[in-house]
Amino acid sequence: MEQNEEKVEEIFVQEGVLLLSGPASHIEYMKLTGTLYITRYEKHENEYSTIFIEWKPNENLTIDSDIQDQEWAVVNTVEKRTRTLSGSLIPEEANRSKYLRVNFDTIKSFKVANSGRKILFNDGRGDVICTFSFQNGNSTCFIASLRQHIKTAPSRRDKNLYIVVGEIGNNDKQIETSFKTLSLFPDDHNYMWSFVKNFQHRPYETTMEAFAKVTNIGNYFWNYYFLEYLIVYNERPLDDETKEVLNKSIIAIESATTTHTQDDYEVVANVPKLPDRKDCPRSKPLTKEQWLDLQNCEGKIEDVDGIKLLIFRGGVTPSLRKSVWKYLLNYYSWESTQKERDQVTKDKKEEYYRMKTQWMTMTKMQEDNFSDYRERKSLIEKDVNRTDRAYDFYAGDNNPHLQLLNDILMTYVMYNFDLGYVQGMSDLLSPILYLLQDEVDAFWCFVGFMEKVLSNFDIDQAGMKEQLQHLHTLLAFTEPELSTYLDNHDSGNMFFCFRWLLVWFKRELNQEDVMKLWEVLWTGLPCQNFHLLICLAILETEKRALMDNNYGFTEILKHINELSLKLNVNFLLNKAEGIYRQIEEATHANDNVRDIVGLPKLENGNMDSPNTASFTYLESSADHASVNIDTNEVSYERGISNSYL
Amino acid sequence: MNQYVNKKFSNQYKATIGADFLTKEVQVDDRTVTMQIWDTAGQERFQSLGVAFYRGADCCVLVFDVTAPNTFKSLDSWRDEFLIQASPREPENFPFVLLGNKVDLEPRAISTKKAQQWCQTKNNIPYFETSAKEALNVEQAFKSIARNALSQQAQAVDLYNEFPDQIKLTNTAKSNNSGDSCAC
Repeated sequence: MEQNEEKVEEIFVQEGVLLLSGPASHIEYMKLTGTLYITRYEKHENEYSTIFIEWKPNENLTIDSDIQDQEWAVVNTVEKRTRTLSGSLIPEEANRSKYLRVNFDTIKSFKVANSGRKILFNDGRGDVICTFSFQNGNSTCFIASLRQHIKTAPSRRDKNLYIVVGEIGNNDKQIETSFKTLSLFPDDHNYMWSFVKNFQHRPYETTMEAFAKVTNIGNYFWNYYFLEYLIVYNERPLDDETKEVLNKSIIAIESATTTHTQDDYEVVANVPKLPDRKDCPRSKPLTKEQWLDLQNCEGKIEDVDGIKLLIFRGGVTPSLRKSVWKYLLNYYSWESTQKERDQVTKDKKEEYYRMKTQWMTMTKMQEDNFSDYRERKSLIEKDVNRTDRAYDFYAGDNNPHLQLLNDILMTYVMYNFDLGYVQGMSDLLSPILYLLQDEVDAFWCFVGFMEKVLSNFDIDQAGMKEQLQHLHTLLAFTEPELSTYLDNHDSGNMFFCFRWLLVWFKRELNQEDVMKLWEVLWTGLPCQNFHLLICLAILETEKRALMDNNYGFTEILKHINELSLKLNVNFLLNKAEGIYRQIEEATHANDNVRDIVGLPKLENGNMDSPNTASFTYLESSADHASVNIDTNEVSYERGISNSYL
Repeated sequence: MNQYVNKKFSNQYKATIGADFLTKEVQVDDRTVTMQIWDTAGQERFQSLGVAFYRGADCCVLVFDVTAPNTFKSLDSWRDEFLIQASPREPENFPFVLLGNKVDLEPRAISTKKAQQWCQTKNNIPYFETSAKEALNVEQAFKSIARNALSQQAQAVDLYNEFPDQIKLTNTAKSNNSGDSCAC
């Protein structure tokens, strides 16, 4: 690896600092005392900031209580350190590898606690990067030194919280980056400066013009800092009137943001942009060679996570599905040996036939006196007769596979009588039986699938209602425009997605594609409720068709129903994974959104955010003004805290 | 519904999941109207989702199986459920039509008289005996359904104040527990 020598300036050094928490790579140094540095590197090809905080554990790992009164020193020394192009530190001495180093570009805010004895650095996505405890005195000098080099803004909500705005002396770059993010002026990076120039001559018009552009995008946050920047950093003197205009603009952004009011609802259009969509290309399906390679001599899967990842990325080679599905559907445990699996097969076979005999031996009299049973039996009979009859496997009169469908569903009634049979279940069983072509195996794999989707069949439909609700929440986050459109067209309840969710797109895809999709979803990767992200992927694809045609409730339902057999599974999986990565990386994803896909809650415990506050139904139009302001202030504060805490 | 719109009958059509509808242009007297015939899932547990589909209906078609007594017994609860969920302005005057389907099958469990009596107790609901399979009386039944829906509009009852030129039908075609809603 090519190595680059580069100069590092130690701006500040403080000893006796305990690492309370930090990245997993430094877990062995947690709760150890060391030295905290602020450093500036001259070369920084990969980072936006040249400023780092670094921490190195003490050579002598005991805490020295004699250094309590030691004075701290701001040291300005320049020394050489070896650094690779990739940015990781190459140790010139053994202990250099112990440096914990964090670039200020990744730090979005820091918080001081315990009367300045503790400091937490946040990444703005809800995670704490690292926490230090000052064993000797407090962090006052550290922060004072930091603020000579890093522009910070105290939070309006918490005086102990500092939001990192950027590096001092690097403002040109900072503001340019901000504007790049905004994509306001993609072709003209000098716009900013012409703006400032115009500003001197026509301050009011220029401000309003730019403000209008920025406001259109609804990204009040950047707007805020842009204007603040003009006031604080414009080296040219501003006259009082100009300052007033700018200050007014800031106040306007802070208290009003941009709202769009229409009839009885109101949309707070201050939704920050999602990170860029990543392409998540599909891979080749899991091959027989890979499958066998990953088993040891006893037939035990050695790397379960690895296998699941391969399946998630590319599915399973069709000829291998018969084996792999039994694991995915919990018929076999991933940890089992071949010997154990043989035993399970034997036991499960016995168990199946015991249950099957229970209904097979029911007498006419028993049946006549058992209406709940009769009801289930009659439902199964009707549905089996109309399940996938267009496929060869189930086609034709007296097809023996229909009998198998019937027997498995009847046995399931005995396995879980309270649930019994609910419409949709035959759709879930059909591909499994088609693939396995074995009654007992198909039954137990069906049981495994049912375990995953049991709540879809709740008597009160609570599970389905919750999923539709979750889907709406996610859509409001990733596609607020479409979600608002649906709300305004009697479709905010997302009922038109009911079929997708109830039988996991079984009715929308052909046999082969359904199998491809299901085995990917069964891995549980990359997140929980990934099937909801498949819905998002479809909805996003159809967004223009729905909105440009101004479809209403009935047309939306019709359009969605008619997508059946027109969907491309690989395209949707790719897109859905991309959407997940966006949610994962979005700094403004609230806890509701994060919770649905299984991401940990944000540290500050914010339950709401601009997204959940997006739909504010108002009792009467007379209340608009007052509610507007409240909502916006709350949204603003939440936006800030979600982005920066 | 398929027999009426597509002139086809099959007992192998997939069970409806969620909801779907078919449209048909009908000539009622001198007016051409587009009829939307809605179909929702048959199993009772899915009915709590029906609210979105019932609301706005101009007529509700109740269907029972003349060979299955339990489907006749549950007509009351289907009717009540519809009125609760659709909440029309005047529940007593809301147009219903009753169809006794599967008259091609034997043995018959519900007599014509019994069905007609039920209709009388419900403010004289029109009653038709049909066979979707044999296309018996289906055309006539739907014609009556369309006329009923329109007559309501002519009286300016304006059930929901929307879709003035569309007739929205909700087909709660239930042989109870059978989910057999597409066979009308």
